[in-house]
Amino acid sequence: MTEGKKFHIQTILLGDVEGIYLTGFLDAHTAPKLEKVIGDLIKTGKKKILVNFKNLDYISSAGMGVFMEFIESLRESGGDIKMSEMNPKVFSIFDLLGFPILFDIDKEDKTALEKFSLMNRHVETT
Amino acid sequence: MKSDYSRLEEMRTVIRMSAESHGFANDAASQIALAVDEACTNLIRYSFPDNNNVPIQLTVITNNKEFIIEIADNGQPFNPDLVPPVDLEQYRKEYKKGGLGIHIMRSVMDDVVYKPATGKKHHNTLRLKKYLA
Repeated sequence: MTEGKKFHIQTILLGDVEGIYLTGFLDAHTAPKLEKVIGDLIKTGKKKILVNFKNLDYISSAGMGVFMEFIESLRESGGDIKMSEMNPKVFSIFDLLGFPILFDIDKEDKTALEKFSLMNRHVETT
Repeated sequence: MKSDYSRLEEMRTVIRMSAESHGFANDAASQIALAVDEACTNLIRYSFPDNNNVPIQLTVITNNKEFIIEIADNGQPFNPDLVPPVDLEQYRKEYKKGGLGIHIMRSVMDDVVYKPATGKKHHNTLRLKKYLA
């Protein structure tokens, strides 16, 4: 993984899903910033979060810990964190920890958004 | 490096370049840098959480067979060997920090050896070893 891009988080509302677009690297230094962004979104009532990894070059367990921190309570309240466009190197680190079993990792935003809308339909019919 | 998370990025670049100069391919060099990141992160988190100015000594030791990164510190000993292997299923159910990093180190490196400071040796050392092809 060649790094060099400065860490940056961009949030974009995609319908009723909050999109978080990561750039750079997610390590013990930058992870707290992501933790704050996700924590703040959840506090404002957001439950559907899509994290796009297209421009993320590196992740360590500190970064993965941020997702672990929120996933359980979010799912219990009917929400989810989905992930998209992960490059093979970042994916291999997720894979090392068995995370693909726990997290929905899609190739494109579109697929993840479709899954989120299916979640809506499920809620409506029950 | 100083016990400051902001130094990790620079450290990873140095370790990666060192690994590549010893013949490791890009992917392997990146994994080695990740393992060292995890080790340093745990060290800062558990030994120096309130002080970002403590020196952590990183040394690359190589011979024909091995590429070793030695991480030395003079804090309270934290022995990763005492952390039991992570049951990932259990971990995912009971999220705890630190254990994931040790799992990564053990998965990526060929050997992880911790030696706490003794009377003669004032530093704790953690050696991460990867065999050269």
